[in-house]
Amino acid sequence: MSTSSTHLSAKAGPSPQTVLVVEDEVLIRLVIAEYLRECGYRVHEAVNADEAILILRAPEVSVDIVFSDVEMPGDMDGFGLARWVRANMPQTQVILTSGAERSADIAGTLCEAGPLLEKPYPTQDVVDRIRQLAAKANRS
Amino acid sequence: MSAASVTVLPRRTPPNILVVEGDVRLRCLVSDELRAISFKVVEAGSAREALTVLDAVRIDLLLLDLDLQPTGSGWEVVHRLNGNQPPTWIIGASSNADSAEKLEGLGLAIRKPYPISQVVDLVTRSLNWPQTPEAWP
Repeated sequence: MSTSSTHLSAKAGPSPQTVLVVEDEVLIRLVIAEYLRECGYRVHEAVNADEAILILRAPEVSVDIVFSDVEMPGDMDGFGLARWVRANMPQTQVILTSGAERSADIAGTLCEAGPLLEKPYPTQDVVDRIRQLAAKANRS
Repeated sequence: MSAASVTVLPRRTPPNILVVEGDVRLRCLVSDELRAISFKVVEAGSAREALTVLDAVRIDLLLLDLDLQPTGSGWEVVHRLNGNQPPTWIIGASSNADSAEKLEGLGLAIRKPYPISQVVDLVTRSLNWPQTPEAWP
């Protein structure tokens, strides 16, 4: 798949899809957020689950997809964040990513797209996954 | 029209701006506004993240929350800049009036809370960034 086709897909409709990237490693977050922006997505960034929830609750922000690391500092990890999103914003999709191989089954029940995306992940895989979710959301 | 009367200005590469702000909603708003006028914006939520980015990425302008909490303040970033290639411009933001005076000689200062438009204007003027969208890359 070409980057240009992804770009068009992200910008389809009245406004680009908005992705919230939740990642505590700043250089990983920087790379994935910038890549998604280049693909045409509107991207917000959060360092941890607490920041993510502040953004999700902000009235001026509307998030379509949360892309979150599982292991994060703080009281809530990626699974906790996914549960919060499911309980409070069921229309928002969640993609979890992890370097560990733990709990793919749990992630499968939390994320519409299925199992965890394992780190290190090719950035194009992230875009592919987001496109799948966006297409699924548009069909439903 | 003679060729001599036509001036073609080259499109500039967007400067890299690092926004270091502990308040995630403010960081998000400021960064979005700066991206909207074609700047490349990197976000950091702490002094540690800011130093990591400054070690890895060339930054032209640093917009720095001097009141960062709890893991290191913005001043920690300022003091550590001497050991690296510092950004061309530093804009410090603080709710403390004394901070502006302390920052004198190192960069510009802005008092918090600030309107987003004030920061955008300060950044744009500092970097001599064109006001018209036609000139943006």
